Amino acid sequence: MASVQYDDATRLYPGTPKPAVNELELTIDDGELLVLVGPSGSGKSTALRMLAGLEPLDDGRILIGGNDVSRVPPRARDIAMVFQNYALYPNLDVAQNMGFALKQQGVHKDERTKRVREVAKLLDLEPYLDRKPRNLSGGQRQRVAMGRAIVRRPQVYLMDEPLSNLDAKLRVQTRAELVELQRRLAVTTVYVTHDQVEAMTMGHRVAVLRDGDLQQVDPPSKLYHEPANLFVAGFIGSPAMNMLPVSVDHAVKIAGVEIRIADAPGGGQRGTVGFRPETVVIGTEGPIPARIRLVEDLGSEAFVHLVIDHEGEERRIVAKVEPPFHGNVDDSVRLTLRGTVHLFDGAEARRATVTL
Amino acid sequence: MKRGARLGVGERRSIAIGIGVLAWVVALIWIFPIAWTVLTSFKTEQDAAAQTFHQGLSFGRYSDIAHSIPGTLSLQTAFTNSLVVVVVSTLIVLLLALPAAYALAIRPVRKWRDVLFFFISTKFLPVVASIFPIYVYAEKWNLIGTRTILVVLYIAINLPLAIWMTRSFFMEVPRELIEAAEIDGTSLVNQLRSVILPIAAPGIAATALLCVIFAWNEYFYAIQLNFASGSTMPQWVISNVSTRGNFLAKLSAASIVACLPVVLAGWAAQKRMIRGLSMGALK
Amino acid sequence: MTAAAADVALKGRVGDPFSSAWRRRLPLLPALLYAVAITQLPFIVSIYYSFTNLKDKTQSLIPEPTKFVGIDNYKQIFTDPFFRQAVWTSVQMTVLAVLLSLVFGTAFAILLDRKFLGQGLVRTLLITPFLLMPVVAALIWKQQMFSSLFGILDKILTFLGLSSVQFISAHPLGSIVTVLVWQWTPFMMLIMLAGLQSQPGDILEAANVDGASGLGIFRQLTLPHLRRYLELGALLGSIYIVQAFDPIDVMTGGGPGSTNVPYYVFQDSIGGGFRYGSASAYAIVVVIFAIIIATLALRLLSSLFKDEERA
Repeated sequence: MASVQYDDATRLYPGTPKPAVNELELTIDDGELLVLVGPSGSGKSTALRMLAGLEPLDDGRILIGGNDVSRVPPRARDIAMVFQNYALYPNLDVAQNMGFALKQQGVHKDERTKRVREVAKLLDLEPYLDRKPRNLSGGQRQRVAMGRAIVRRPQVYLMDEPLSNLDAKLRVQTRAELVELQRRLAVTTVYVTHDQVEAMTMGHRVAVLRDGDLQQVDPPSKLYHEPANLFVAGFIGSPAMNMLPVSVDHAVKIAGVEIRIADAPGGGQRGTVGFRPETVVIGTEGPIPARIRLVEDLGSEAFVHLVIDHEGEERRIVAKVEPPFHGNVDDSVRLTLRGTVHLFDGAEARRATVTL
Repeated sequence: MKRGARLGVGERRSIAIGIGVLAWVVALIWIFPIAWTVLTSFKTEQDAAAQTFHQGLSFGRYSDIAHSIPGTLSLQTAFTNSLVVVVVSTLIVLLLALPAAYALAIRPVRKWRDVLFFFISTKFLPVVASIFPIYVYAEKWNLIGTRTILVVLYIAINLPLAIWMTRSFFMEVPRELIEAAEIDGTSLVNQLRSVILPIAAPGIAATALLCVIFAWNEYFYAIQLNFASGSTMPQWVISNVSTRGNFLAKLSAASIVACLPVVLAGWAAQKRMIRGLSMGALK
Repeated sequence: MTAAAADVALKGRVGDPFSSAWRRRLPLLPALLYAVAITQLPFIVSIYYSFTNLKDKTQSLIPEPTKFVGIDNYKQIFTDPFFRQAVWTSVQMTVLAVLLSLVFGTAFAILLDRKFLGQGLVRTLLITPFLLMPVVAALIWKQQMFSSLFGILDKILTFLGLSSVQFISAHPLGSIVTVLVWQWTPFMMLIMLAGLQSQPGDILEAANVDGASGLGIFRQLTLPHLRRYLELGALLGSIYIVQAFDPIDVMTGGGPGSTNVPYYVFQDSIGGGFRYGSASAYAIVVVIFAIIIATLALRLLSSLFKDEERA
């Protein structure tokens, strides 16, 4: 068990103008599950690989348990990694795959077998111990990859999008099992994903990356309710936050309706106002006229896509409603905003929030 | 560490440099015989025989071999013959092998394993055994000393390898692409042209190169089925081995000239060869 | 599917000449027919000769009429000590050359598998021997390296104060194997390089993270992966090396230590013996053995033929 620290860690690929990971400052506590999330190219996988020692650092340091491991090769870092494509050793069976690292450490055969069996039991892999990877399903392979990491009892677990190759239902199921497992084993885990739903449901804290820069690192609820900037606000939450360009001057006008925002700066600069689908209430009365474009009824919740007239242009927004929803396409309705509304300035930072 | 990278994390620089140096040393030792021969080709015969450098280096030997004694095989004749034979035979080999590989890889015939084995088995009969029947018939049909007979035989020699390799490369083409082409009603020829060949191109190039190498360097049939006055490059080289004393420098020059085209081709195409081989020569 | 294609597909099931099975065979036919015509006819003629006492009449003082001798030629094979010698030499030559070039080839491929200054150039240099004419390669080694009059090796030995060695006469087999290995190592190297590069990188990374050393990774993961490439190299190499002719002709001209089966057959037929009948018998025996061995080998090395069949 150990803490992990990225201290100004930077990785610049030769020939590229911008670092893939840019002066990353991040501390992960002992036993924490931290999710690195971001779109492709954000640097999250690179950051993980730097922690693993599979990518060198061009600047800064990486510390595990307080020790600077920046120059230490992967095999000496006492970490375990689950690869996106599982990277199971094709010529070894499941038991040998899981015991591989222990064998390298010189662990005695009996001890090895014992530990492998323990973990196989934990992950329901006992019937497959003598099968080769090519004879396993995707889900089984994923569990073997996990088992390989768990058996090692390392200081840190690293996971590089381990669930992205599973089908949707299996993914959701495995996600829950993974979280449970991590809480039980209480080993520091760094988890990379591009799926913000995974990030939100799994991490103690979530670090959002964009183009190599850390945008925000906070517990999921804080990311959701208090996004640091426009990017985080738009990335976290599905469907995405509704965003409209506005002029800021202690008040903003949404579709002609004025909303007072106490902490907003004056001056009339351009900014963005954002509000999540759950703040949009559809009814027959309300200040904002709108027209229904599309209704998505998922059974437990429904999303209505609407068009409003904002600053002279047609804008689409999404509202979240309780099913059953009785409106139809092309119906005219009226909207009220009730809930949290954020204000982002021209530099995309969040400046003010008001609850209606 | 990424495959083939320069330096992994925590790897001592000295080890990486050490391996590089070792590779260079090995390469230089390995190529020494060739390098020495190249050097010898620029010497005078006296120097060559004594392995000394007294009389300096020049292109003298090269101009010697360019002038032929009438009645013997000239460089020009031999070169032309080799070129024609190699190019024609390789082209025809590809023309035969590509459809055959299609029938073994993409829409396989049921007994493809047996067919493949048959082709390979044609290489089991030693060339030296089949030469006599071949000679008899070649003589009957007035083919001795022609390029035709060599073309015919070289095709037969290279066909098994070409089919084997081409088939492997075709196996690399994704199934969905072929299926899409089938649905679109594409004919075999067009499938080959638009879908399969672009993907398998490096592999085909590697195959063609190997055929060129084996055809250009082939010695036995060339000697046995030709007269002394007209043949291909291997025979021309041997004609420079004189029994009247050793003309080492001249022979070296001749050897270099004879091998140069294929060596240059091989150098130019080596990356493609490796890419071709790693693509799937081994499925 | 278009109407026309559906039509054809239907027709296929009714078993007419353009049925699916024959459409599959069609592209194969040109190559197949060609191979049969050019290789099988001489083969069959050789079988015919092997049952006769065919000799080149112009070469013997008392011309004999050609007649059938049944299996006399074949009986003779088993009593011919020179043939046994040739077989033994063939085996030694092939096994040594193939094994050594595989070992060297793999070693070179490992060296070349990472970036260093001039990597491309080193690779270019290493493959060159394979591109040379076998006769040229043999000549180079005969004249420049091994020759006791002019050879470099000899000069080095003298320089070091050691006595001169008659490489070719004292070690005929070794000399031939040297040339063969020199030429075929690059071929094996290319195959092994392809093998190394086809191994997925993330498996090696996983092994690294799991604590395996470079040597451990090679032994436990890379070598098993390379097995089918080694098998391919061995198979292809054997097919070509067992037929080796040029180096023997150039370096030793035959002789007890270096005559392999092809050269023996050559000597017996157009190389001086002109006994085409018996020479053909030898050749046929060789082919039969080769087929037996190859069939066995391919059963064992089933990895080479074990593909998922395409429908």
